[in-house]
Amino acid sequence: MALTTVARGRVYDWSHAIGRGAATGTGFNYVQTMCLDKNGNAYTTNRGNENNFGMRANHVKIGTAAGEEDLLAEFFQYGEGDGKTTWPFGIAVDSERDRVYCSDEWTSTISVFDTGGKFIAKFGKPGSGDGELSHPAGIAVEKSGNVIVVDAGNNRLQVFSPDGKFAGKCGGPGKAPGEFDQPWGITLDKDGNILVADWGNNRIQKLSPQGRPLMCLGSYGKSSKPEGAYAVTPLGPYVAAEGERAGHPRTDQFNHPTDVAVDSDGDIYVCDWGNHRVCIFDSEGGPITTLVGDSQVMSKWGNMSVSANPDMMKARRRVKSLEPEWRFCFPTAVDFDPASDQIIVADSQRNRLQVYKKVRNYTDFQANL
Amino acid sequence: MAYQDDIALMAHLMRRAGFGARRDELEARVAKGYDAAVEELLHPETQPATDEYALLRYQPAALLPGGQPPMGNVNWLYHLVNTKRPLEEKMALFWHHVFATGNSKVDNYDQLLEQIQLFREHGMGNYRELLSIVSKNPTMIFWLDNQQNHGTAVNENWGRELLELFSLGAGNYTEVDVRECSRAFTGWTFETKIPRLPYGRFPWKFEYRPEDHDDGEKVFLGHKGHFNGEDILDIIVQQPACGKFICRHLYNFFVADEPQVPAWPIEAPRNPKAIDEMVEVFRDSKFDMRAVLRHMFNADWFKNARFQHVKSPAEVVVGTLRFVGGSEVPRPGYGELSMNTAYMGQDLLNPPSVEGWHTGKEWINSGSLMARINFMAEQIGNTSALGVRGIIDRLRVKGSLSPEQLVDGCLDLLGPVEVSADTKAQLLSQANEWGQISWSNGSSAASDQHVGQMLQLIVATREYQFA
Repeated sequence: MALTTVARGRVYDWSHAIGRGAATGTGFNYVQTMCLDKNGNAYTTNRGNENNFGMRANHVKIGTAAGEEDLLAEFFQYGEGDGKTTWPFGIAVDSERDRVYCSDEWTSTISVFDTGGKFIAKFGKPGSGDGELSHPAGIAVEKSGNVIVVDAGNNRLQVFSPDGKFAGKCGGPGKAPGEFDQPWGITLDKDGNILVADWGNNRIQKLSPQGRPLMCLGSYGKSSKPEGAYAVTPLGPYVAAEGERAGHPRTDQFNHPTDVAVDSDGDIYVCDWGNHRVCIFDSEGGPITTLVGDSQVMSKWGNMSVSANPDMMKARRRVKSLEPEWRFCFPTAVDFDPASDQIIVADSQRNRLQVYKKVRNYTDFQANL
Repeated sequence: MAYQDDIALMAHLMRRAGFGARRDELEARVAKGYDAAVEELLHPETQPATDEYALLRYQPAALLPGGQPPMGNVNWLYHLVNTKRPLEEKMALFWHHVFATGNSKVDNYDQLLEQIQLFREHGMGNYRELLSIVSKNPTMIFWLDNQQNHGTAVNENWGRELLELFSLGAGNYTEVDVRECSRAFTGWTFETKIPRLPYGRFPWKFEYRPEDHDDGEKVFLGHKGHFNGEDILDIIVQQPACGKFICRHLYNFFVADEPQVPAWPIEAPRNPKAIDEMVEVFRDSKFDMRAVLRHMFNADWFKNARFQHVKSPAEVVVGTLRFVGGSEVPRPGYGELSMNTAYMGQDLLNPPSVEGWHTGKEWINSGSLMARINFMAEQIGNTSALGVRGIIDRLRVKGSLSPEQLVDGCLDLLGPVEVSADTKAQLLSQANEWGQISWSNGSSAASDQHVGQMLQLIVATREYQFA
């Protein structure tokens, strides 16, 4: 199976994986959203569950190769009161101002931390009025320091000043351009345009910095299970003899997309959650290719888990194919680090990040080797 | 009065073929007619499937919950509460009673949920095919140790339970049949799956290993041959005992409480004629469950069997939550909510043994009764809940109610519920203390509260424990 994906004018190399399942400490627990700091390290929110209560935000070193992962900070854990969370969802970092913003979709609040995870303030309250929130999801920070919150339950975006004062809004429920159905992730391109994963409408929307609709990308399409394929979960992904993309819909057809990223060339990356892939487009929305997850080398923390449990290693040696483990399983977030050309994908159900590198000046090998 | 009878009959159908219904739904179904309601229930594909993506947005851990409750229970509760296909879900619950498989050994709710999904998809299909599917279901294989059933070393666990609990019932086969049956299923196993560390759960996949199969001659229930598992299933379904066993299970689950399964060899069915009718349809339709269910729901003995079945904890919890409303979308605490059936004696996805749960009056003891009543009373006493508001709104249009009207109105709209004269007198005694209630002159909140309290009293009655 290919570790290097070659597409129209683009090459992507799978680099390494980070993480393992863990309710606390070194690992993840159902990442909902992710953002990168100025050093290319990731902040994530972890939804946890009602058995392990592993809800939290964590700050993790990405590095450029396997084995460099490190836990830098952990905060926003489950609980009541300042700095705590019930259902963590969105996260955004403002490295210039030493701020991390985290949304809690149950309490409908935004908590503010410094980049080391120390609680500073909280704003927002449940409701549908200006400055009020309903199930807040993704967050993005503008160059001005203003904070855009995906107000998912109200199907709109709201803008707050860095200290939490209401500054503006756009959107509303519906299917027309500029309207949303339970949006999830958000990102800003280099011009400040806003890209939103319009989850329930199965599309990405691009808005001007003032909130004017500029582009809708994608329509609904769901993976089908090829005959005889192995269903990694009842809802996919499916590992089929015909190849890793068998049963996939077209690149521009999404099943509940959760996030979007834009790279330094303007290419757009869509986290196609329900189809277990990342879809890549040029800046005009032209399809380029898809990534399906290629985690053939285990993460450092993953190796620690297996090494400490001999039965796990014994079982792994008896498995006919590890391919189901390589694949994304409900990826929730994608980000691009312009400094390293790395594409980082939060592989939510597998509690890890998969890192790809966009390769520049790739020279093809001799085909008759 | 005829219309009221239609409502009562529809309520009976929906309690049994589903998890009950509010008055608005009953009226809509009555308008279409009983036959149409039965056909819609029998064809779940005509209704939309439950939105699993909404569940995973809020509770991603419900997809691959591993071995720890409550996240597996969260997943099934979400489906039970939200389904627009109540009979599909009720049949999944039925087969979970019959092919009882539990987390206590499997330690993997993912695989149990996969089995429930098989029951959703095939539960109203052909029983012979379902037997084949269950025989190849890795969760069942692990539950009954068939991965340890080798051509050179037979393990009889699956073979025995297939005959005793899944198809024929005790007394309809010999120990030799158990042995020969088990030999036929040697080599039916699953591939090694990717283990749970470090990235979470992966499912098993069925594998047939011919080199581990005993292909020698077998003698099974009077038949001789080099039987494999499918041959055994063909022989099983042709046995008269098979239809009787499955149809008695259906009767017990949907019509009226029977004795517990171990007593069946010595205790006759409470309605042998009904069982005979169902067996005839089972046989003539070549084991089509939908045909048997259709006959059952349209039979007079079904229509007349109201309140002859003690509600299972699943029926209590799901019926209450669907009636009251507000639990359609997961919220923090959904896990605890999902465990309520366990507190009443029915730990879904974790039955006490391969025999499943003992039903009927065995659902009731002093602890489980308190758990049932407390749960129902807490839910039904919420006068702001959608379903309770529906009752209040229908009563308040009358302006004011005498004590007797309050009692009758609540009994009617909560069911209709039929109660004894003694129970009625006790309810009336409480209503008399409140006197005439009305929704005028600022007494609205108090009247709402009295309705809620009367509903709480009704769910605490002996009669309300029956469906």
